[in-house]
Amino acid sequence: METTDAIISTRGLTKHYGSVDALTDLSVDVRHGEIFGFLGPNGAGKSTMIRTLLGFLHATHGSASVLGMDVATESVEIRRLTGYLPGGIALYDSLTGEQVLDYLARLQGRTPYRRADLVERLRMPQADLRRRVRDYSRGMRQKIGVIQALQHDPELAILDEPTEGLDPLMQQAFYGILADLRAEGRTIFFSSHVLSEVERVCDRVGIIRQGRLMAVHEVRELLARRRRRVSIQWRGAAPDASTIPGLADVTVDGDRLFGTLHGEVSEFVRAVASPSLEDLTIEPASLEEAFLEYYAEEAPTPAVAGPSEAK
Amino acid sequence: MNGPLFGQTLAWQRLRWIIVSIAIFGWGILIPVVYAAFSDVIRDLANSGAFPEELLSFGSGSLFTLPGALTLGTQHPLVLAMLGIFAVGATSTAIAGERQRGTLEVLLSRPISRTTVYASITAGLLLVVACVLFTFLAGFVVGAAIQGVLNELPIEHMPMVLLNGCLLWGAFSTFGLAASVSFDRPGPAIGLTLAYLIVNYFFEILGSLWQEAEWTQEFSLFHHFQPAEILAGALDPIDLVILGAAFVLPIVYALVVFPRRDLAAPA
Repeated sequence: METTDAIISTRGLTKHYGSVDALTDLSVDVRHGEIFGFLGPNGAGKSTMIRTLLGFLHATHGSASVLGMDVATESVEIRRLTGYLPGGIALYDSLTGEQVLDYLARLQGRTPYRRADLVERLRMPQADLRRRVRDYSRGMRQKIGVIQALQHDPELAILDEPTEGLDPLMQQAFYGILADLRAEGRTIFFSSHVLSEVERVCDRVGIIRQGRLMAVHEVRELLARRRRRVSIQWRGAAPDASTIPGLADVTVDGDRLFGTLHGEVSEFVRAVASPSLEDLTIEPASLEEAFLEYYAEEAPTPAVAGPSEAK
Repeated sequence: MNGPLFGQTLAWQRLRWIIVSIAIFGWGILIPVVYAAFSDVIRDLANSGAFPEELLSFGSGSLFTLPGALTLGTQHPLVLAMLGIFAVGATSTAIAGERQRGTLEVLLSRPISRTTVYASITAGLLLVVACVLFTFLAGFVVGAAIQGVLNELPIEHMPMVLLNGCLLWGAFSTFGLAASVSFDRPGPAIGLTLAYLIVNYFFEILGSLWQEAEWTQEFSLFHHFQPAEILAGALDPIDLVILGAAFVLPIVYALVVFPRRDLAAPA
């Protein structure tokens, strides 16, 4: 099933290394202009997927297209329009940061329009850029990695664990850069195992486990579906909890009621609203809980989200 | 071919290129000096019968004639070591080294096909090898001029010596690059290429020192680069064909294998 606005589209993408199934029947679409988070623990197949999209690996079965081009036959043109940040990027240690960026820009064959802006936002002063990469800290290397991936203003950015090694301040700056890119219509494919950052920056998230795509969801939708812990306090006796929609696992401690909320918050709030309500606490759902639920099962279930759901 | 990658390949070699060029130019000058100083002594020793002639030669070279001295100079372990820095060291680490460091991933994320990556690196390293060889021959000519024996050197055949030498060392270089695209780490690539060079060298030297083993020289690439024969105008075209095949076959192999390899994440 093809979608016209899919920037990345895979169908039944499978990669085996001998008897090891690195990717199995993976079908997903990444839409134009979105930030798509690819979430999974180490070894789940995130990097294998990315490396297949960029032509470093050859798929055992299935197909994939990026920017409407086939990854098997049009890889060079795909890479012309793409910016890539590898996980744990390695750079040329004997060159200065500036020489690395110049060299990679020349190889890219596109003017590095965005470099000045990225250098400023990621706080890489000229003095640092003129130092040899071998003297860089991990965070500085990562900044150079981000700059080299985005300096030529790519239509699609594929970023493998991009905030690894960045301090919290630089992470904020990086999230700002991503937001601006999205606002300009760029598409970002973002692999991570840091749940909080996926929750923060991504529009949709694909969850991968043992090479299989477990689900693709809107982040908002995923969070909305999550259970929330609630605590309610009334003046006087607590009402009958069974009449409150979505509330489960109820325990009562004096005038305070504790429980787990499933489903819509608005319905719940309407149900508990009364003049005797004294205090109401709803703990925000975290993506981490959603993630852990998918991973709590013993074995992977074949793709929950097929192509149609993934769009 | 990709210009920036070709240029950077040359730039990576810059420092050792300069050092080796100075050293090999000096070696080139030294050979005619040694020839002028010792050729009569060595000829007398050979004529006296005190030493077998094989022991007064080295490989296919000798100090009996200036062209023979050139052959000796090109087969001397010093030249092997100096040219081996590029023909073995630089070639076998070129791609496997980038692979191990993880920089190959950054390189291949640019819009360059693997064939172009291979061609650019190969062209750069072959140019370095050719320049180093040219520097050696230039040093030899300068040395011959300094010693006043230039009349013994048919200069018009020197371009063919350079071509033949480029094919020999090019063959080791393309072998090194073929090994480099085949392994994820430079260690095995260096080991294999070095073994290839040493076996060829062993066959050449063994055949020159031991008459019963002379046949082994036919299996050595070194035996197909004979500056003395070329300078005498007796170049055997088969030598060029053999060296040409040894030069081209690893290129064909690399062009088939490299684009098809899976490049998993660096360990």
